[in-house]
Amino acid sequence: MRRSMRKFLLLGIAGLLVGALAACAKAQGPHIVVEDAWGRPSPKVATAGAFYMTLRNTGNEDDALIGAESDACGTVELHESFKTPEGAMGMRPVEGGKIVIPAGETVELKMGGLHIMCIDKQVDFTPGTKVQLTLHFEKSGDMPIEVEIRQPK
Amino acid sequence: MRNLSRGLWLGVGAVLLIVLGWWAWDRFRPYAFHGTVLQSAEPAFDFELQSADGPVRLSDFRGKVVLLYFGYTFCPDVCPTTLFEVQRTMELLGDDADQVQLIMISVDPARDTPERLKEYVQYFHPSFIGVTGSEDAIAEVATHYGIYYQKHEGTPATGYLVDHTATITVIDRKGYVKLVFPYGTPAEDMAADLAYLIRH
Ligand SMILES: [Cu+2]
Repeated sequence: MRRSMRKFLLLGIAGLLVGALAACAKAQGPHIVVEDAWGRPSPKVATAGAFYMTLRNTGNEDDALIGAESDACGTVELHESFKTPEGAMGMRPVEGGKIVIPAGETVELKMGGLHIMCIDKQVDFTPGTKVQLTLHFEKSGDMPIEVEIRQPK
Repeated sequence: MRNLSRGLWLGVGAVLLIVLGWWAWDRFRPYAFHGTVLQSAEPAFDFELQSADGPVRLSDFRGKVVLLYFGYTFCPDVCPTTLFEVQRTMELLGDDADQVQLIMISVDPARDTPERLKEYVQYFHPSFIGVTGSEDAIAEVATHYGIYYQKHEGTPATGYLVDHTATITVIDRKGYVKLVFPYGTPAEDMAADLAYLIRH
């Protein structure tokens, strides 16, 4: 009786250890969570639109957004709006062609800053429209997400 | 006893004086604008540019408060952010909104036709007007209002992009440049300033 109990206990501990190891292995590397992906409604004549979202890296390794694609856009580029030395506002592709999301940190794509630009809109950006967008990450690979077209909050 | 009642009267007098002073200060203090105040010796430069519905002159809107915004329709981030904020400003102004006229002047006359501009600005508010003109005409207006804009190479997909001053110039009802709203001024601040300008 005692013996079998001991065996049982050992088995249990071994099981726990295997589980913990598996969890550890899984927690290695970056882990990207995308929150509140949205785009602003815009008139048809506006050939370009912008998508915004929060990128959270809950993993323990840096990752980077390196591109995106969508059937709703002719071309998708990673851009940032910035203040020029003259005090004007400009827009340019992101430095190095990527947006780095350091381990444990959060990067905000927001109005007047970093954005995913949808060039040659293929659909109407009317409020309520859902746009399917695939994000390409350097390490995490492809991540399909849904972007909601809505007014800014 | 005598001293006591004298002290009492003095106290009451002091309190009255403070209350009166506070009331007067509140009533007559100068309004503090949120935007940057400009003192103009001369009326604002009276331009004539083209809208989809015909020529537009600044002087057409004497008696209203005019907001001038320089931008372009390909601009997907900064321009809509600003125009959306003006849309919210109009909502906050309620009945006073018809005393305000926004005019967007294109800094990309090569790509922005009057028709495109009309559809673009009216998406934000039915009263908004979009105007364009020759490269020279736009440059002249921009110079008068201290607006910087510069084309630069984009990507193959975007084509050229235009850096531009993203402020809003406010012209009062008499036709003088009165305020500048920096990029990112909240609708609440703009509405407060505009409501004041409509009443004074
Ligand atoms: Cu962009």
